[in-house]
Amino acid sequence: MVTIILNKNKLLNKLGIDGNLLENILFNLKSEMKMLDENNLEIEINADRLDLLSSDGISRAVKGLLERELGEAKYKVVDTDFKLIIHNVRSRPYALAAVVYNANIDLQELIQFQEKLHSTIGRKRKKVAIGIHDLNKIDTKIIEYKEIPTTYKFIPLNGNREMTIDEVIYQTEQGKLYGKLSIFDNLSPSIIQSDGQVLSIPPIINSEKSKIDERTKNFFIDVTGTSFDAVAQTLDLLVTNLAESGGTIGKVKIEYENKRVSNVDYSPLLVHKTISVNKNYIYNTLGIDKDKEKDICKHIMRMRMDCEEYSANIKVIVPPYRIDIINSIDIVEDVAMSIGYNNLIPSKYLISNYGNYDYITLLERRIRELSIGANFIEIFNFVLIKESKLFDKKYIKILNPISEEYNAVRNSLIPVLLDFLSKNQHAKFPVRVFEIGDVVIKDNTTDTGYRNDKRVTYAIMDSRVSYEDIQAPIHYILSSMGITPNYIETNSDIFIEGRVANVLYKNQAIGILGEIKPEILLKFDIEYPIVMAELYVTKIMELIRV
Amino acid sequence: MLSENEIKILDFLKIVKRSNSEEIANKTGLSISSVLSLINLLAEKGYVRVEKKVEEYYALTEEGKKRKNEGLPEDILINKLNGKEEEINNVKTMLGEDFNIAISWAKKKGLIDIKKGKIIPKVSSHVSEEYYALFNLENANKNLIEVLERRGLVEKREKIIILVELLKEPEEITPTISNITHEILVSGEWKRYKFKKYNVAAFPPFFPISKKHYFKEFLEKVKDIMINLGFTEVNTGYVEMEFYNFDILFQPQDHPAREIHDSFSIEGIGKIDNQDLLNNVKKMHESSWKYEWKQEIALRLMLRSQSTATTARVLASKPNPPLKVFTVGKVFRPDAIDATHLIEFHQLDGLIIDDNFTFRDLLGVLREIFYRLGIREIKFKPAYFPFTEPSVEVYGYLEKLGWVEMCGAGLLRPEILNAVGIKSRAGAWGIGLERLAMSFLNINDIRLLYSNNIEYIREMKVNLW
Repeated sequence: MVTIILNKNKLLNKLGIDGNLLENILFNLKSEMKMLDENNLEIEINADRLDLLSSDGISRAVKGLLERELGEAKYKVVDTDFKLIIHNVRSRPYALAAVVYNANIDLQELIQFQEKLHSTIGRKRKKVAIGIHDLNKIDTKIIEYKEIPTTYKFIPLNGNREMTIDEVIYQTEQGKLYGKLSIFDNLSPSIIQSDGQVLSIPPIINSEKSKIDERTKNFFIDVTGTSFDAVAQTLDLLVTNLAESGGTIGKVKIEYENKRVSNVDYSPLLVHKTISVNKNYIYNTLGIDKDKEKDICKHIMRMRMDCEEYSANIKVIVPPYRIDIINSIDIVEDVAMSIGYNNLIPSKYLISNYGNYDYITLLERRIRELSIGANFIEIFNFVLIKESKLFDKKYIKILNPISEEYNAVRNSLIPVLLDFLSKNQHAKFPVRVFEIGDVVIKDNTTDTGYRNDKRVTYAIMDSRVSYEDIQAPIHYILSSMGITPNYIETNSDIFIEGRVANVLYKNQAIGILGEIKPEILLKFDIEYPIVMAELYVTKIMELIRV
Repeated sequence: MLSENEIKILDFLKIVKRSNSEEIANKTGLSISSVLSLINLLAEKGYVRVEKKVEEYYALTEEGKKRKNEGLPEDILINKLNGKEEEINNVKTMLGEDFNIAISWAKKKGLIDIKKGKIIPKVSSHVSEEYYALFNLENANKNLIEVLERRGLVEKREKIIILVELLKEPEEITPTISNITHEILVSGEWKRYKFKKYNVAAFPPFFPISKKHYFKEFLEKVKDIMINLGFTEVNTGYVEMEFYNFDILFQPQDHPAREIHDSFSIEGIGKIDNQDLLNNVKKMHESSWKYEWKQEIALRLMLRSQSTATTARVLASKPNPPLKVFTVGKVFRPDAIDATHLIEFHQLDGLIIDDNFTFRDLLGVLREIFYRLGIREIKFKPAYFPFTEPSVEVYGYLEKLGWVEMCGAGLLRPEILNAVGIKSRAGAWGIGLERLAMSFLNINDIRLLYSNNIEYIREMKVNLW
């Protein structure tokens, strides 16, 4: 979700509706509106509908649903004398430009629109960067997009002196944020007048020279980036929304000097896509009655797209501001939105079949019942854990943890339970707990090299406990499942020598149990004796499911 | 109800009618202190009347005890002289420190004469009357007691005597006991006893009852709901390839949700043998999103950030429709941990693949699931997810919070179904379970779902319905 802030009264006056109706319409356009304060609305826009990131885009969509205007919003497009020559710019090879005359847009809102496009389709300016200039301050008709040395001087936006590009990169906020995206061999991309005056150094900053202000009505817009489609779409979004405010779009001649792009003569491209959709596809996908919803084209036009009706199909002409429409399924969604999701009656969907539990769930449930029967209370802890608490050093480390407390994935429940017990030493004794859950262990036979392993782990902490206190319940839990275990002495870093056994079934280890070593207890700041057992549930399932 | 010992005392009193505490102690073999408390109990119950009396008596002093053992000095003098005269100085040596007492009392009693430095006995042997009295102070002649008192051999003392008088006899006296034992059961001896009364209104001592974990039980309830709706459970591992978490779900590789701070990365790469699947997914990305799709990014490992990764694996296995599966699984996302956020939480993901499945069917299934989860009022909001179209968010109404977003859902995009080779339509959804559990369990801090305080877990009430 992308959040924008708009002036409440300006927007409601422009639309001529009240706040409640606007909230309702926005809800059905995937958006949420709330009052920020007396004068401002906060609107959350879904990331696919970038056309709604300005009040003009919202206005265009709302007019459609109110049926004041239907079909594509058509804007006046004129030729201009401006030309953009695109040279070889290695870090971001694509650029397009456009002119808009007589746009009637609030300066703050325009800057917000630009920034929101930067953070979404622009991928924080990495993919696309936008420069918006005051057309009247531009002196040459030919503008170039080319690499210039980082020693080149200009006055950056809101600056009061000439600076080299190097200085901009190392001394300004913008330079530090975006400088590293574009500089290559001490060369920087630039939008530059044919007389050598810099208009902007994408994606970092514009020049002070072409600065826009409240009075600016005529705009020159450059868009540069690493993806031609994204650059073209961004420019289309910008000019159509400015045109919706009353502006006229001016075409700029485009010349790719290196012929990287050869089929484009003018920009903005104002891309129109035609999608032909079978009407039955719409009816069947949504599950709606074709007799009740005869006029599919009407719905398309309410969504501000042009539509032509044929016997079996409709032809939708997707306007440049609807870059989210990829193919016919997207048309289906727009029809559903026009009808209103809450007007689609949920159906009673039934297919006659029976559900099945995963076997591991069934086994887990039985073990939990038996564990309660053996008087252990169930606890439930996090899967993520601090790596220093793990005994077995074969564990998964998180490369980008947000906290040292949770920088690894547990590979046993024993440290998890010790951690739990250390926090409960002042509880009423005895403390008898168990947890059943997944740990993650290495396994070369899986496609990720790891797999989840289900464990159930028991612990008793009391003023006095011994081996048999844990062995007895484990023995009878297992034998209740038809498993007669054997116990064989083993070595362990965790348990006291001579008081630790592997639990065996069919000659395979299905668990370990014993008395915890004093040094381990102290490591966890525990001052009372503990006996524990860990059973390998996944292993048990393998052995008992024939 | 009378105790065994109370009955002993009453049995004795039935014979004598009146007695005192000392006598009762002697006759019943109980200690004097038990007798005192028992007769007070019996008095409270109305069986006896108790009277306290102070009695004087004489007891031997330390010297008295000595004289009782050795004899009185004057008697010793007479017996030693044995009827013969003796020089005073010799007698002095013979009697030591008792000399003066012996001479003075022997003279007073007229037993000797003293002439010319010699002591002349008048009798050859003598035992004084007071000496006999030392052995029987209670019955001794009053004059003798006075003499003994004057000589410092006895002293006057006081003692408290509790006089007890039987008022009524118990109608039927049955002894009581505390515990039934095997022995008294088999011997039939139990019939002689009644059971001692307890204070049954008192609260019991601590008892550590074991129970299933409340949140785990909620998750199991969710599974039951899905099974009852005819879904089959599937599970996959926490460690996942980006391919199943993102790529197969049409999420472009430079999508903001794939940025490093939105999921946990793990070292290493996975492997996918199905080359057709890889090619199809590559094609799907490159033709729709216009960028160069990189297999090495898709194979990177992560902790799954959505349980849709599990249903994605089901899709990739190209199952035969109709199919209804679900998973209840844990997912991991970096976030600040607070009362409403955790870095690991559960999702319920569902997938239906069916030839004629419609968007309205999907809405119907979602309504049914939420109804069974106890959310009776829901509304649908158009939404955007890369892998579904049409997409919908389900808002549920909660008493305390109002309308809350609870679920993301939609029909799977045809691009995805084409890539995995499924010809039918498919619907999918993901529901976050922690918030629902909090509402269901009436908990207002998400961290309490994973409380590490045993007392909190012990005290947690069980949801009955």
